[in-house]
Amino acid sequence: MVHELLRLRRLHILLVDDDSGACNRIQQALGSDFHLYHAQSLIEARQHLVEYVPDIVICEVQLGKESGLELCRFIRNIPTLHYLPIMLLTSLTTLQDKIAGFDAGADDYVVKPYDARHLMARIRLLTRMKNLEQQDE
Amino acid sequence: MKKVLVIDDNPTIVELIKYAVNLQSAFQVIVAYDGEEGLKSVYAENPDCVIIDVKMPRMDGYKLVRCLRGDTRTANIPLIILSAMTREEDQMTGLLSGVDEYLTKPFKPGALNAAIERVLLLTPADRQRRMDYLLQTHAERE
Repeated sequence: MVHELLRLRRLHILLVDDDSGACNRIQQALGSDFHLYHAQSLIEARQHLVEYVPDIVICEVQLGKESGLELCRFIRNIPTLHYLPIMLLTSLTTLQDKIAGFDAGADDYVVKPYDARHLMARIRLLTRMKNLEQQDE
Repeated sequence: MKKVLVIDDNPTIVELIKYAVNLQSAFQVIVAYDGEEGLKSVYAENPDCVIIDVKMPRMDGYKLVRCLRGDTRTANIPLIILSAMTREEDQMTGLLSGVDEYLTKPFKPGALNAAIERVLLLTPADRQRRMDYLLQTHAERE
């Protein structure tokens, strides 16, 4: 029963990254406190969001020929997903990249390589913050 | 001379901040008038401390703070929010975003200077401890 409750309290993350190893690396970095779902394309990500809304979306910007920014815009255009936190976790580091990310609707922008403890903290803080925003309106 | 970057879209407030921060210490004050310009200035000027308004055109102060904290190159720059948003929820959003101090307008020059002195002394370990504390608080509220 306790384990069941703990499982229910774990945050559900939709990770969108075309790198098949990214999911394993992030799962290892985050440990067992998070449920990680992996989508390797925008189609997979959208399908997942239709079926189940996670606590947070973590998305790479460069998805082969696709762009994670398209997913940001998709999410922000759907009223029921308005408060879904989006973190861009990417190796793109220029000012223009960051500005484009926030313009597309991202809430946070974390540059790779990431520190596991820092990433975990930012995921939890971001979900908490978006909950506050939602309660506020 | 320490360099303070002020990011606020209200020129009158900017002048008040410039006056206030030079009452007790000599700082080189540089200014940006919106979030994007502020972000560019951080990378171009490498300031010792940044004072940030929340409600600004092009990128709000919370996003700017998160953007800076998400990059190891800027993750440990001392950041102060100085905002007219006074509710507890606003302050919590600022702290969760990663700001070191949250001050409200109208402000007293002494309080702003004291905050600058405090944030200049913070270490990465201090920020990590604060983040851990916020996470603990977060877990208790869930």
